[in-house]
Amino acid sequence: MSSSATQPPAELMIRGDTWDARRASTWLASVALAQSVPAAHIVRLDHCLDEALANVIAHGGPTALASPVRLQFSVRRSQDICTAELSVADAGVPFDASAGPPGSTPRPASLAEAKPEGLGLLMIRKFSDELSYRRSEGHNHLTITVSWTEAA
Amino acid sequence: MAIQYEDVNDDIRRIYLRGRLDTAGSEQIATEFAALAESAKRGVVVNLSDVTFLSSMGIRALIASAKAQQAKGGRMVLHVGGNDVVARTLEATGIDELIPTFDDEADAERALLD
Repeated sequence: MSSSATQPPAELMIRGDTWDARRASTWLASVALAQSVPAAHIVRLDHCLDEALANVIAHGGPTALASPVRLQFSVRRSQDICTAELSVADAGVPFDASAGPPGSTPRPASLAEAKPEGLGLLMIRKFSDELSYRRSEGHNHLTITVSWTEAA
Repeated sequence: MAIQYEDVNDDIRRIYLRGRLDTAGSEQIATEFAALAESAKRGVVVNLSDVTFLSSMGIRALIASAKAQQAKGGRMVLHVGGNDVVARTLEATGIDELIPTFDDEADAERALLD
């Protein structure tokens, strides 16, 4: 089975703030579209990116806000299976957003019970197909994977 | 991100949100949205049909206002108007089971009067 990345990873450095997070979203749409990622899967990646960056900004601490966040994006195609990988590297406090299986965040049974905590993580887990995390050299590295089958 | 409202009658207020309700967009409208929802007399229809992206921050704003409405005896419903991106997000997070969600505006307004 042959496997190939059609292009080298695209990379963007941003500041840890919400307006640069929007710039990151524009960048993601552009590089994903250039690599023929279907619109529905760009939306999934976009959700994961927005929530991952929101988490860095809200909970990463002063080091995260003072240091650039590095984004990398690549697409790999193996026969008719396509895999997009989006990596987010930040210098914030250690945090593994991949911990826990997808959908492990319990849903509230009523509006009164609904709490905002964990909603972003729930969305990352729902919209991704795979998450991986490692901590190295003072950085969190979260990799978000979205896969799809390319029509013949 | 744009926000507008229209009072249909003494009981029902429509709040229209347009654009990208990502983290930045949600912060931009949060205060005005909460004030508009809070000051509605009985019920609020939040029109999300022109929202191009809905983040957890945007959902938090919806939940907070729906709770505030409920606490004063009112109701809030969502009108998605066939917006699949928003509908999928509401479904993925289970919010459509907590805040009544409608494709049709008339159905949404009827639900406030039930």
